[in-house]
Amino acid sequence: MNKNDLIIRIAGEGGEGIISTGDFITQACARAGLEVYTFKTFPAEIKGGYAMYQTRASAAPLFNQGDTFDVLCAFNGQAYDMNRHLLHPGTAFVYDGPGGDFEPEIPEGVHAYAIPMTQTAKELGSIKAKNMVAMGALSQLFNISEKALREILSAKFAKKGSTVLESNLNAFARGRELAAALTKTDDWHVSDPKTEERDVVVLSGNDAVGLGAIIAGLDFFAAYPITPATEIARYVARHLPKRGGTLIQAEDEIASISQVVGASFAGKKAMTATSGPGLALMGEMLGMSFMSETPCVVANVQRGGPSTGLPTKHEQSDLFLSIHGSHGDCGRIVLSVEGVSDCISLTVEAFNLAEKYQCPVILLSDGSLAFSTQTVPYPDPDSYPIVTRKCWDGEGEYKRYLLTDDGISPMAAPGTPGGMHIATGLEHDEAGEPNYSSANHETMQAKRFGKLDNVVNDFAPVEVDGEGEADLGIIAWGSTIGVVREAIARLRAEGHSVKGFYPKLLWPMPAEQYEAFGASCRKIMLPEVNHTGQLAHFVRAETGLRPVSYTICGGLPFTPAMIVGKAKEML
Amino acid sequence: MSTAQTHLHKVELLPKEYKTETKPFWCPGCGDHGVLTSVYRALAELGVDPNYLVNISGIGCSSRLPYFVRSYKMHTLHGRAGPVATGVQLARPDLAILVNGGDGDGFSIGGGHMPHLARKNINMTYVLMDNRIYGLTKGQVSPTSQRKMKAYTTPYGGVEEPLDPILYMLTYGASFVAQTLATNVKMTAQLIKEGMEHKGFSFISVMSHCPTFNNIDDAKYFKETAEEIQDSHDVGDIDAAMHAVNMAHRNGRIPVGLLFREQRATLDERMAELVKQVGGSPDYDLRKIIDLARP
Repeated sequence: MNKNDLIIRIAGEGGEGIISTGDFITQACARAGLEVYTFKTFPAEIKGGYAMYQTRASAAPLFNQGDTFDVLCAFNGQAYDMNRHLLHPGTAFVYDGPGGDFEPEIPEGVHAYAIPMTQTAKELGSIKAKNMVAMGALSQLFNISEKALREILSAKFAKKGSTVLESNLNAFARGRELAAALTKTDDWHVSDPKTEERDVVVLSGNDAVGLGAIIAGLDFFAAYPITPATEIARYVARHLPKRGGTLIQAEDEIASISQVVGASFAGKKAMTATSGPGLALMGEMLGMSFMSETPCVVANVQRGGPSTGLPTKHEQSDLFLSIHGSHGDCGRIVLSVEGVSDCISLTVEAFNLAEKYQCPVILLSDGSLAFSTQTVPYPDPDSYPIVTRKCWDGEGEYKRYLLTDDGISPMAAPGTPGGMHIATGLEHDEAGEPNYSSANHETMQAKRFGKLDNVVNDFAPVEVDGEGEADLGIIAWGSTIGVVREAIARLRAEGHSVKGFYPKLLWPMPAEQYEAFGASCRKIMLPEVNHTGQLAHFVRAETGLRPVSYTICGGLPFTPAMIVGKAKEML
Repeated sequence: MSTAQTHLHKVELLPKEYKTETKPFWCPGCGDHGVLTSVYRALAELGVDPNYLVNISGIGCSSRLPYFVRSYKMHTLHGRAGPVATGVQLARPDLAILVNGGDGDGFSIGGGHMPHLARKNINMTYVLMDNRIYGLTKGQVSPTSQRKMKAYTTPYGGVEEPLDPILYMLTYGASFVAQTLATNVKMTAQLIKEGMEHKGFSFISVMSHCPTFNNIDDAKYFKETAEEIQDSHDVGDIDAAMHAVNMAHRNGRIPVGLLFREQRATLDERMAELVKQVGGSPDYDLRKIIDLARP
C-alpha cells in the first residue's frame, strides 16, 4: 500500500484522552492540506471500557476507514490485547512502557517504540498529560506537523489559562524528545503538506447533517437524546438560534416527531434526528404525516439492533423499518448517505423532497459515519438549490387536498385568510372532510402514492461506477459505498472487470436503474452490515435481480479487503 | 389584554359564526355539546380571528370537536394533541392554540406529555373533556373512572383507583388550572375565555358526562357533587389550590371554578430571548457558521 496513505490507531481506556488525541491529530493533518477519514469506537458506558480512534490521512481522496492500521498506539494492556492480532510485519507499534500496565511481546517484523507515557506524565505532575506525551511521540515518529499541533493545542487550551496550556505543551514536547531518542526503523509517515490551496471543512457525519439542515432553511428542530444521533441536536442547538430558529428537547420520540409535524403544519421547515429505537416509536406519526400530507424530515442514524442492541456500534439494519415502519399502506421517501459530503447535500435534498412532495422523508446515516470526521470541500451555501412548499394562491375556494395532475395540492399555513382546513389522520376528501367511502379511499391513496412516482426522476438517485459490461457488479448503500469504491479500484488495478452501483434514493426504488445495471453484470454482490440482507431483500422483491447477499453484523463496517476477498470468490 | 394569547388577531363574530357546516356527531344529551357551545361563546367574547386560531385534538369522542369549530385545525393521533400543538405554537407564537381531548387521550395514552406542556408553559389552552369512560370504543374504564365501575372490560367491576387530572396539573406546574361542568355553559365559557386570555399553559377540566356508556357519573351526579370554589380562595396560592382539591376529595365533592393562575414566561418567550441573546436572525450569514468547521 501507498506509504503516504497512513492509518494511525490510538487505543486505550475511555476517559484517557483517546478521542481528543485523535481529534488533534486529525485536525493537524487537515490543516496540512491532507484528506482525513476517521473512525472511532467507544463503549456505551461513560467511564472506562475500550475506546479507539483511528485517523487515516492521505494526499489522495479517501472514501473509507481503510483495512487496518499501519501504526498502533496502545495506552494500556487492554488496547494491546484488543489489537495484538493485527500487528503484522511492517506495522509500527507505539506503546506505554516502561512503567505501563503491560509488557508486550513484539512479533517478528513489527517496529516497536516504547514510550513511557504514564511514567513521564507522573513525572510532569499529572497523569492527565499521558495523552499529550503519546501525541508528542506520534508527531515526532510519523511527521505529524508539530506546528499545526501546537497551534491547535494553543487554541484549545487558551480558555483554560496559561498554566494548563503550558503543562500540555510541555508534555507534548517531552513526548517528542522521548521519541527522537529512539531509532526509527520503519518508513511510515503522513504525507508532506500539500502546497496547493484547498478550501475545505472538517466535519463529522452528525455535524454535517445539522449543517445541511440549517442550509436547507431549517426553522424548528425537535430532539430526544439517543446514541448515535445526539450530536445532530448538539450542532443544531448551537447554531440554529443564530438563524432565528428554535430547538426543543421533547419528552420522548413520539413527542419530537409530533412537534415536527405540528411545526410543519404551521408553515415551517422542521426535522428531528434519532436512531432505530426512536424511529420505531415514530411510526404512527409518520403515517399521519403521509396521510395529512404534512412534510417532515427524520434523520435516522442506525446502530446495532434489535432492541437496545449495540448502541454505539455500526449497523445498516433500519432499512425495513424506514421503508415500511408504519401501519396501513404508508408511503415515504428514504435517502441514504455515503459520507460527510452527502450528509450535507442529501439533508438539503431531504428537505427539498419533503417540501415538494408533502410527505415524510427519512435520511439514513449510520453509527460509524455519525462520528467519522472527514475533509470535504467548503460547502458554498448558495450552491444548494432550496425548495419550499407550494402554497395556495388565495384564488377561489380552498381545498387542501385538491386533486391535481401531479398529486401535489397547494398548502395554506394558519393565518392565510380563507385557507382554513383540517389536517387529519382520518381518510378524507379533497376538502379534508372525513370520508370512508371505497371510491374516496381508492382515489386518495392513489393521489398520495401517485405523487411519489416522480421522485425517482427528481435528482440523480443512483451513481454508477464503471461503464459497459462487467464480470461483477457490486450494489452498496450507506457508508459501505466508500469501502466498495476502494475495493473496486483495487480489483480493477489487478485487471478484474467490476462495476459499482450506489443508490442514494432507497425508496421509492429506482427499479429500472437497478435492472439496467444488473443487465450489464454477469454476477451481482450486495454487501451490507446487517444479518438479514435488507437491501438485497428489496432488490429481489422490486426488480428481477438476484444479488448474492454478503452480510456481516459484528458492529463494525466492512473493509475494502473483505470486499476484494468476496469479489475474488465470485469472479 | 396585553397578556392574552390572542391579542394579535381580533375580529367581531357572533358565537354561531364559529360554527362549521359539519354537524356534531355526538349522542343526544352528551356533555360535549355543552362544551362546544361554551367554546363558541368564549371565542366570540374574545373576538378570536378564526384564521389565526388552531384547534388541535387527539382521538376520542371529544377529539372530534375541531371539525365543528371554524379555524385551522388538526385531528391528530391518540394522545398526541399536546406535542403536535407544541410544535405549532413554538413555530408560530402569533397563533391562538386551543387543544381539546378526553380523559383517556390526555391522561392514559397521552399522559406522558402532560407534565411537559405544563412545566414548559407552552402558550395554549387545553380543554379536557372528562367523561370518565372510553366512549368511542363503546365503554371501557378510563384512568378517571370510579373504582368498581362495571364496563366493557370490567364485567365484575373495576379494580383500579382513578386519578384526578387537576391535581396532576397543579403538581406539574400548569400556570392556569380550572375545573367546570359541561352543563354549566356560563362558567365553562368564562373559564375557557380566561384560559385563552392567559399567557401560558391553561388547563380547564370539564366534567362532560357520557349518557351512553357511563351511568354512574351522569349529569345529575356531577351537578350534585360539584362544589364551587369559595370567593375567598387565593388563585395565586398553589398550596391553597392543592388544599382545596384535597379537601373536596375528602368530602366526595368535585371542586369547580378557577383554582390557580400565575404569570411566568412562556417557552416561546424564553426561546425568543435566547435567539436575541445570540444575535440571531434569518439573515445571519451561513458562512459564519460553516467557517467554524475549517481545520
